[in-house]
Amino acid sequence: MADLLPYLIGGLANGALYGLLALGFVLVFRATSVVNFAIGEFLLVGAYLTYTFALLLPLPLAILAALPLAFLFGVLVERGFVRPLLGRNVVAVIMATVGLAAALDGGVQLLWGPDLKYLPGSLPDLGFEAGGVYVSSRAVWNLLLALPLGLGLLWLLRKSRYGILVRAISEREVAALALGIPTARILAGVWGLSALLATLAGALLAVASGVGYNLVFFGLKVFPVAILGGLDAVGGALVAGFLLGVLEALSQRYLEAYLPGFTEALPFVVVLLVLLVRPYGLFGERQIERV
Amino acid sequence: MKRREFLQRLGVGSLAALGFSRFALAQARPVKLATLLPLTGPFAFAGNAGREGFVDGVDYVNEVLGGIAGRKLELIVEDTGYDVAKGTAAFNRVLSRERPEELLFVYGDSTGLSKALAPEIARIGLPYSATSFASELADPEKYPTIFVFGPTYNDMMEALLRQIRLQKGKARIALVYSNTEFGRDPIPYVKERAKALGMEVVHEEVTPPAFTDATPVVLNLRRANPDFVLLQGYALSVEPLILRAAREQGLRAQFMGTYYSAELVLIQRAGPAAEGFTVTYHNPYWYDTLVPAVDEMRKFRQRKGRDTSYRPTYYMGSLAVALGVAEAMRRAAQAGKLTRAGVVEYLEKIGDYTALGLTRGYQFVNHRIPYTKLYRASVKDGRFNAITDWLKLA
Repeated sequence: MADLLPYLIGGLANGALYGLLALGFVLVFRATSVVNFAIGEFLLVGAYLTYTFALLLPLPLAILAALPLAFLFGVLVERGFVRPLLGRNVVAVIMATVGLAAALDGGVQLLWGPDLKYLPGSLPDLGFEAGGVYVSSRAVWNLLLALPLGLGLLWLLRKSRYGILVRAISEREVAALALGIPTARILAGVWGLSALLATLAGALLAVASGVGYNLVFFGLKVFPVAILGGLDAVGGALVAGFLLGVLEALSQRYLEAYLPGFTEALPFVVVLLVLLVRPYGLFGERQIERV
Repeated sequence: MKRREFLQRLGVGSLAALGFSRFALAQARPVKLATLLPLTGPFAFAGNAGREGFVDGVDYVNEVLGGIAGRKLELIVEDTGYDVAKGTAAFNRVLSRERPEELLFVYGDSTGLSKALAPEIARIGLPYSATSFASELADPEKYPTIFVFGPTYNDMMEALLRQIRLQKGKARIALVYSNTEFGRDPIPYVKERAKALGMEVVHEEVTPPAFTDATPVVLNLRRANPDFVLLQGYALSVEPLILRAAREQGLRAQFMGTYYSAELVLIQRAGPAAEGFTVTYHNPYWYDTLVPAVDEMRKFRQRKGRDTSYRPTYYMGSLAVALGVAEAMRRAAQAGKLTRAGVVEYLEKIGDYTALGLTRGYQFVNHRIPYTKLYRASVKDGRFNAITDWLKLA
C-alpha cells in the first residue's frame, strides 16, 4: 500500500484538475446544451493570462488577477459566438466552438508567440513527507484549490438563487424566459464560470509545466471525464475527474510495465465501457423518450 | 537590302531575340528550397526558430555568397502544425505549384511526416531532408534522395551508451520515451546495443508526447532503480518536469537525452535538477563565439537589424541545412548539373565543406552525418558544456 500511495496521490492531484475543467464543461452543457470544443483553449488562454500577470505580480496574486479576466473572457465568448446563434440548431453552436478553438489557437500564438513560457515565480512549497511517502507541492496545491472550489460551486448551484435560476433555465429555457428570468445574463455568467474554472486549472498546470500549446491536450481529457460522470451531472464531473485520475494512476502502477503506453488510451477505453453499460454516464440522468 | 531580305533578317532577329530573352529569363529564374515546418501546434517554438535559421541562411547565400551561380535562392515556407495530414497537404501543394527544374530541395517536418512522404520522394527523385533524425530515413538504397543532416537517433543513442560504458561498466538503464515515431525510433537499437555492451535495460516507460505530471513516471523509475535514464521523443515538452520530479523524489540516476533535448530552456526550467543532464548535439551553440559561423551570423543579423540575442539549437540546425544545401547547389551549378539529381550527387560530395564550422563537415555516410559531441548541463553556467570532442559513430 505504501508503494501504491504516491501513485494515488498523484492521480488524485491530476483528477482534481480534470474535475475542475469538466465541471465548467458540464455546467455549460447542462445550461445551454452546447458541447464546448474550445474548452482546451479556455484552459490555454487562462494559462497565458496567468503568465502575463505573473510577469508583473507575485504568482498567487497573478492567479487571482487572471480569474476575473477569464470570467470576462467567457462572457465575451458567450456574447460574441454563442448568443448570436441562439435559436439555431445546436450543431451550429457546437461548430462555432470548433471554429473558436482554431481562432484561439492562432490568436494565442499571435499574442504570446510560439515559444514555451515559464512562470517567473512559484507558489509556496507545500510539499511534505509523511510515513515515507512524499507528497509534492503540486499535488497539495491542486487539491487545496480545486476541491473547495468545486464543492463550493456545487453547493452554490444547489442552494443559491443563482444556482436555482441556472437549473431552471437548463430545465426549460422558454418557460424561464416567460417567468422573467434574465436568461441571457445568467447564461453569460455560466460561460464566464466555465472559463474561470478552466483558467484555474490552466494556472495550476502552468505552475507545474510551463505554458505552451501542449496544454490544449490536457483539455481533451475533459470529454472522457464528462461522459464518465454524465454530461448533465455537474457533481458527477468532479467525481469522475478524481476517478479517472486514480484509474490512470493504477494503470501507471500495474499495467504500464506489461502494456507500455496503455495509460494514454485508458480514459477512452473507460468511456467506451461506460457508454456500453450506462450511456448516460455514472451519475447522469437516465432519459427515456417515448414515441 | 531588298525588302524580302530585310523581312527575313527581321524575322530571324526577332526569333533569336525572343529565344535569347526566354533563355535569359530561364537563367534568371530562382532556385527554390521549400520548407514544411511546424509553425503552429505543439512544436511551434522549434518550427519558428527553424524558419528563422532558413531565412538567415537563404538571405546569407543571396546577399553574401552571390546566390546559386548567379541565380537567386528562394525560400518557400509552409506550416504543418506538426500534423502528418496537414504536412502531406502542404507537400502536395508545393509540388503541384512549383516547377520541378526550380524546386530542388524540400525540408520537411517530423519523423511521422517524413516516413509517410518517403516513398513518394524516392519515386520522384526529390532531394529531401527533415527535422527528423530517424534511422529509417538514412537508407540511400531505399531512399536515394533523402539526407539526414546529422547523426540518426540510433547514432545519438550509441554515443550515450558509449559514455555510459565509460562511466559504469555494467550499468542499469531505463528508457523513457514518447509513444510517437520520434520516441520509438531508436528503442530497438538501444535495447540490442545495451545488451551487447553488457548493460541491463531495467525499465521502459512509454508516455504521451506531452504530459503535466511526471510523478508516476518517476515513481516507476524509482522502483526500477536505474543508474542511467535515457529520454527520447519529447523536444523539451516534459524533460524539465521529469528532472524536477526526479530530484523531488530523490532519484539518483543520471539523465541523458538526444538532440532535441539539448536546448538551454531545459536548464532554465529544470533549475538545479538539470545539473549533469547529458545530451548529444552536433552544431555549435549561439554562445560558441569562437566558431566563425556564429560570429559571422551575429554580424549578419546585426547588419540586417535582426535580434542578435541567443538563437536556439533549432535555428543552428536549420542554418546548417540551408548552407549545406546551397553549397551542394552551387557546386552542381558549376558542374552544369543544377538539377535534382545534381543536388543529390553533390550533397554526397561536399564532405570538405563545414559552413564556417556549423558542422564538422557534411561527410555523409549512408546519407547521414555520423558525428556528434556530448554536452553536459551546467546550472552554474546556465549552459551546456562539451564533455567530448567529435565522436565518430559509423
